[in-house]
Amino acid sequence: MTTLDDLMKLPGAMAAFEFRGSGEMLEHRIAYPDRINESTLDLLAHMCAANLSIATMQARGWEKVTGMEGFYPIQEFTLIGFDWSVVVSGLQREQYKQAGKFSLPPFMGVVLANESADYEAAFGILERKEPVP
Amino acid sequence: MSIVTDLLAKPGVIAAGEYAYRGDRFSYRGELSENHARVASIMCRATTMSVNMEASMLEALQPLSGLLPPRGWLVHGPGYTVCVVANVFCLLDNRKGSINDLVGFMCQALAAIPSDMI
Repeated sequence: MTTLDDLMKLPGAMAAFEFRGSGEMLEHRIAYPDRINESTLDLLAHMCAANLSIATMQARGWEKVTGMEGFYPIQEFTLIGFDWSVVVSGLQREQYKQAGKFSLPPFMGVVLANESADYEAAFGILERKEPVP
Repeated sequence: MSIVTDLLAKPGVIAAGEYAYRGDRFSYRGELSENHARVASIMCRATTMSVNMEASMLEALQPLSGLLPPRGWLVHGPGYTVCVVANVFCLLDNRKGSINDLVGFMCQALAAIPSDMI
């Protein structure tokens, strides 16, 4: 069972996807093709890659400016839309970096219907520690 | 009571504030200096404008996609979470508060705010 499949079990899960830091989408799952199609998910992956990078830059800058800790590294970025939200994370990559790996796993994300979205449950799956090969 | 006052009463919220979409004003309460609150409001406004642009682009590609107008966004760090809905921001201590409760409260309290960003 992959992380994508686990993300699809979340309440209100509409889609789950993997993407590169450049935004290019890799694997994906779609539960409701009439509401979220592959083309939408592809642009969403690019948006999420950009937002994660900007949020990471802001968190880094914020910690330097204020002396506060606890913002970096970004665990997840979540965009709350009108009907649905998208939650993305690259946290598993941090484990690989700490293990000295140069080849990093992809970023991951899930689209959740707002009426049943459980953000903390999504964070829990995306923050799960997987064994580094 | 204002929403900022309501937010500060929530468990784990260490600071909350509002910013004008046109960028000329902000207000805040909580455990931040005036200068740091100004930096936070600028970053929050910039990201809000950015996600609105992105949602408009997605809407052009896929009309009625369900993203537009975006309600807000979250940045979840290891210790703190930045929660923004409409033009209201708050900082949450992850150990002391619930993100689900906070997002639910903010989305409900700010549901009637016009989405034209004026």
